[in-house]
Amino acid sequence: MARIENPLLLSIYGQLVDKILAETQNIEEANERLRELGRTMAEQIYLTTDIVEKTKDEVLTREDVAKLVEVVFRVLFDRKPTEIDMETARGSVRVSDSNCVWCQDVNLEGMPGFGYCEVFSGILEAILKYKGVDARVFEETCRATGGVTCSWNVRLV
Amino acid sequence: MSGDLERALSKLRFDDQVIGYSLMTKGGRPFVSFSFPDDLFPRVKESISLYKTDLRLMTIDTDKGLVVLAPVDDNWILTVLYVPELQLGLAIAKTKNVLRMLEGIELPPPPEEFEEAVESNLEVLESIAMQAASTAAEAAPTVEEPAPAPAQEAEELSPEDFVVTSDTVPKKGEAYATALSLDSDLYDEMRKAYRNFGFDILMLVDGRSTVAAIADAMFQPVVKVAEVLKWAASKRIVELPRAGEAAAEGVTKKPSRFVKCPRFEGDLSKVKPDHLAVVRLCDGTRTTEQIAEAAGIPAPRVIHIVALYRKHGMKMIGKTI
Repeated sequence: MARIENPLLLSIYGQLVDKILAETQNIEEANERLRELGRTMAEQIYLTTDIVEKTKDEVLTREDVAKLVEVVFRVLFDRKPTEIDMETARGSVRVSDSNCVWCQDVNLEGMPGFGYCEVFSGILEAILKYKGVDARVFEETCRATGGVTCSWNVRLV
Repeated sequence: MSGDLERALSKLRFDDQVIGYSLMTKGGRPFVSFSFPDDLFPRVKESISLYKTDLRLMTIDTDKGLVVLAPVDDNWILTVLYVPELQLGLAIAKTKNVLRMLEGIELPPPPEEFEEAVESNLEVLESIAMQAASTAAEAAPTVEEPAPAPAQEAEELSPEDFVVTSDTVPKKGEAYATALSLDSDLYDEMRKAYRNFGFDILMLVDGRSTVAAIADAMFQPVVKVAEVLKWAASKRIVELPRAGEAAAEGVTKKPSRFVKCPRFEGDLSKVKPDHLAVVRLCDGTRTTEQIAEAAGIPAPRVIHIVALYRKHGMKMIGKTI
C-alpha cells in the first residue's frame, strides 16, 4: 500500500501529530490520542487490504502474533520489520524497525517519552483485536526522540 | 394598497423569465397588462370561463410560453406568461411568490366600465380604493412604510456576524418591508449587489422555510443563498442566528455525522453459516457498531467478518446521518 518514502502521506500524518500535540496537555495524553487514531485507522486498513486473507483465522501464540505483525508490515510497508523479539520480555513481543516510515526526518528535542509513531501501536492493537487477541501495544523507543530504532511492545493480556 | 400591488407586479416585470403578465377580472377581461400578447387573451378567457368559480392554479402551455393562471381573490385573476424553457415547477413557485405578496392586500372589485389591458388602470384601482378608505373612518397609517429603524444607534453588523447552515430558518427582520419597497435605498443597494436574486430570496423568507428549502425552491446552491441572507441579516432585513448563538445552539443540536456502513451485494449462499447473521445485517444502513449490537457480538468480530467478504461483494458505503 504505502511506499516508504511518501512525502504526501507523511505530511498528512505530520499535520495530525502537530494538531494532537497542540490539543493535549502532556506527553501521555498525546501518546494515547495517537494510539486512538491508529485504532480507528485500523478498521479501514483491515477492511481494504489482504491482511485478513494472509493471516490465520485464529491467532493463539506469540509466534502467531509475530507472523501477523510480519503480514501487517508486508501489506503496509512492503517489507519485514527489522526485528521481532519474543525472548527478552515474557508475555510480550517486541517489534523494532530501524527504517520506520512514520517518523522519517523528524527530530524532536526535549520530548522524552513521546511516541511519534504511536499511531502504529493503535493499528496493531486493533488488528490483533479483530483476530480475537487482547493485547496492549505501546511504543518503547522512537527515532524521532533520539532512539536507534522505533520499537513497539505488544503485551498480550 | 396600490403600492403593494405595484410592488408585486413589478416583481414580475423585472423577472427575466417573465414575458408578460395581466391582472384579469373573474370574467376574463384584462385589466392591467404588461407585455402580455393580445392573441393569448381569448384562450385564457376560455380557460377561465371553463372553470368559473372552481379555478385554482392552472397552467396553459402555449407556443409563446407557459401561462400560469392564479386567482388572487373573488374578483381578480393573475395571469403570467413565462418563457417556454422555464420549468413548470419554477413557474408555479414564482407565481405563488407574487400571490403571497398580494395576500392581505384589499383589492377593490373592478369598475363597471374600463379600457382593457391598460397600465394606467392601476391608478383607477387606486382611486377606487382611496374612495373606499375615505368613507371608512380615519385612514390607517400606511402599512407599507415601517417606522425607520434606529439604525444609527444600533450596532453595526457585518455578514460575518451570522451563521447560516442548511437547517437555519431565516425570519423577517425589521427592515424586511423596506427592502422590498422598490423606492427604498435598501432595495437599490440589494439590487446593485445581487440583482433580482436578493429580492427572490426575500420573497421566500416566511419564518418556516429552511435555507435548504429556499435554495431548493430556487434551484440555487445553499452557499449562494446563504451569502445573500447573511448580507440581509447585517442590514436587519432578515433575522439569523449570530455566530455565538449558533455555537450555543450547536451544543443542544446533534450535528450530522459521517459514518460507513457495510453493504453485502454478493451471493448469500456462499457465506459461511457462522457469518450469515452478521452478513445479512450488512444492508448499507447500519454501522459495524450497530450490526454488533443487533447481532449481539463484539464489534471487532463484526469488522473481521466484514473484512472476510471484501472480495466477495462487501462494500463500505460512506454517508452522513
